[in-house]
Amino acid sequence: MRYIENFVKTMYLKRVFLFTLFFIFVSVAVAQTTFSAQAPRVVEVGETFRLVFTTNGEPSSFDPPSITGLDVLAGPTSSTMSSIQDINGKRTESFQVSYTYILQAHSEGKFTVPAASVVVDGKSYSSSAVTIEVVKTNSGKVQDPNEQESATVTNNDIFMKISISKGSVVVGEYFTATIKLYTKVPVAGFEDVRFPSFNGFWSQEIGSAQNIDFVRENVDGKIYNSALLKKYILLPQQSGTLTIDAAELVCQVQIRAGKSASRSIFDDFFDSYQTVRKRVSSRPVTVKVDPLPLGAPASFKGAVGSFTMKGRLLTDSINANEALSLIIDINGTGNINLIEAPKPEFPASFECYDTKITDNTNKESGGVSGNKQFEYPLIARAPGDYSIAPVLFTYYDITKKQYITLSTKEFVVKVGNATGINASSNNGLSLGVTRQAVRSITDDIRYIQTGRLSLKRGNVFFFASATYFVVLALIIFFFVLLEKFLSKRVQRNRDIAGVRNRRANKVAKARLKTAGQLLKEGLYSSFYEELHRAILGYTSDKLNLSLSDMSRDKIEESLILRNVKEDNIHQLLSLIEQCEYARYAPDPGGDNMDKNYSKALDLISSMEL
Amino acid sequence: MYNIVNKFTIFFITGFLLFALPLRAIGQEKEKWNDANSLYAQGNYSEALQQYLLLEEAGYVSWPLYFNIANGYFKVQNYGHSILYYERALKLNPSGKDIRVNLSYAKQFTVDKIDRIPEFILTTWIRDLNYMFTSDYWAIISIVLFIIVALLLLNFRYGPNAHIRKISFFLSMVSLLFAIIFTLFAWNQKNAFNRENSAIVMNAVSTVRNSPDNSGSTLFILHEGAKLEIIEQLGEWKRIELTDGRQGWIAAADIEII
Repeated sequence: MRYIENFVKTMYLKRVFLFTLFFIFVSVAVAQTTFSAQAPRVVEVGETFRLVFTTNGEPSSFDPPSITGLDVLAGPTSSTMSSIQDINGKRTESFQVSYTYILQAHSEGKFTVPAASVVVDGKSYSSSAVTIEVVKTNSGKVQDPNEQESATVTNNDIFMKISISKGSVVVGEYFTATIKLYTKVPVAGFEDVRFPSFNGFWSQEIGSAQNIDFVRENVDGKIYNSALLKKYILLPQQSGTLTIDAAELVCQVQIRAGKSASRSIFDDFFDSYQTVRKRVSSRPVTVKVDPLPLGAPASFKGAVGSFTMKGRLLTDSINANEALSLIIDINGTGNINLIEAPKPEFPASFECYDTKITDNTNKESGGVSGNKQFEYPLIARAPGDYSIAPVLFTYYDITKKQYITLSTKEFVVKVGNATGINASSNNGLSLGVTRQAVRSITDDIRYIQTGRLSLKRGNVFFFASATYFVVLALIIFFFVLLEKFLSKRVQRNRDIAGVRNRRANKVAKARLKTAGQLLKEGLYSSFYEELHRAILGYTSDKLNLSLSDMSRDKIEESLILRNVKEDNIHQLLSLIEQCEYARYAPDPGGDNMDKNYSKALDLISSMEL
Repeated sequence: MYNIVNKFTIFFITGFLLFALPLRAIGQEKEKWNDANSLYAQGNYSEALQQYLLLEEAGYVSWPLYFNIANGYFKVQNYGHSILYYERALKLNPSGKDIRVNLSYAKQFTVDKIDRIPEFILTTWIRDLNYMFTSDYWAIISIVLFIIVALLLLNFRYGPNAHIRKISFFLSMVSLLFAIIFTLFAWNQKNAFNRENSAIVMNAVSTVRNSPDNSGSTLFILHEGAKLEIIEQLGEWKRIELTDGRQGWIAAADIEII
């Protein structure tokens, strides 16, 4: 104290003379006064330990705490420490006053040392109460040298543990995982550190300590020095039983070398230590992750926790082609860093640009609490009064175990006519009616089938079914039946033709005979009639043509088809012509009658049809 | 006399019950179907889905039912099942346009993007042609063609003149060719339906290994909704092939056959 006072005094004097040189001292910021208490958290019966109250101000009085249940061996003893550091011209000054008690516990249990208080610069500061847990002697042989004679370190001496804040969660519900190292032996350092990969989780490390501090802790009645290695916020991304892999590291453990034969005072004084590498790994931890219940509303996008939502429009009355913004604020705790922007439905004449997301989540908490702001920049393209439907945001409330949908109020926007400058400007915005393709506002699956429901049990194919084969068999059956019928009919027809063919000569000869008789009698027209009939009948029978079908062309065609000599065809046709002519026009001379008669006889005998 | 009347009554009542009960059952299903549809319309998708699934459990099969189940699953964001049921609906109605649209939309929500080995364009055309109609349609068309073939053949044999006979022979041969092709289409569809060699991955993450046991090294990882072909089965494992030609073994429990 005195030293400090003197120091400051000399400084002051120097400042008087060398004002500019020591100007920097004036600007040393006065730190905020703190007052704190420090003590080990766990001690064993009979162990002596220190309880230290520290302040960085200069106290004018100290009000000691009343310590009960613990024996005060010495104290309070006060000590003052002050230091000045100059690093690269930057000077820092620190000052500390501490009051130290030496205490001893004589019985097991938890003891609380109440707050002490100091008065610094007329203001009173009090420390926090300190709770000290006292455990049985001999349980934790933290410093027992006999125990460490052997050069081995057991898993009881040093181990690692992953502890999770919740063992059963739902998808998206956050919890913390802490990786701690517990040791009874001094640890000099770590190497080959491997932390779990957290498969199936979204993980975020929080409050990573720069250096590892060991704190005493009671584990099943034994005292360990524990160190917090890592702390994570975990968000399960899938349901099921998820496993957090083991953490692993290799500790460089310092153990005392074996007891020397002659235990001199120097051996005790200069302990010889030896560093042993010890692989330490934690046990894997399983977390039961339940899926979120079914029946989530459409606006649910995976938010889990408890949130509040506020929405506002920056302005509610603008002119066409001007911009406005809709701002949605979501506050709360949960997987806020993973929540997606709600999707407001804007009137079709509003153009919406990319949502601006401002993340104000609390980094200390690993992003599980805080605020997220979504800003939707809009440009109104047409004047009118519009309302923007309330924006919905659904989250799953863990405590209430149900989906909760938050809703903003309905926003009303008045869009006036485009102002002169905007309306007359032709940069970018076209003034006339612009034709545009029909835009798909949202894409969704097509609606369910509501009409016909042809419910069947099992799927039956017509192909290769009994009916199918029956139908095929029926087709074949009818085909065969028709074929039989038709072929029979053709057979019969062919027979008729054959009979006519065979009888043709006979009939023709009989007719010619009659014609010959008529010729003798000199009956001119009857002769020609009979001759005509004989020739036509013969041709029709032979060619299988009906008499009504007989025409000059038809006969010629049929005869050519049957390869009759052209000469004969001509003779036959001219004979028929002559007969027809003679029948209806009386012939002046009868001399042709004989000739025609013999010609007909010749033709019928020579034309082998 | 009284006895006879009594017997008749019993006979009549039994007959009535035999006919009426299935009718009544169908009526109930219709009601359930309409209830489920109105639940869906109200946006109560999970309830609607439960109703549809009850209908399916009762043993009913129809593509609108599968389609609606798939829509229900889609709405509750169970995309794997949604795709499974769209595929099932498509199997019953290969030419369903709505099903194809929704299936391709649902596929956008799956993780895996598996390339197809480029196919010979003719194969694609023939398959598209094949699936333009259902197997039943093809069978009926082929039967009609068989009838035409029979008539044309008769005409060929007993036609009035050579010209008509020539034409009818030619036409009958063409019809016969088409009838055979369509019969093959019908057969092919029925075969494809009964083969049950396509499946959908149901697990969120499934590993495909190079041997049918858990110790096999992991070849690749498939996610929910991926479609694959089953090649063979060995115990609880199935050998599968992706459309890009890669093969491996997957646990049978991870997949569901379409």
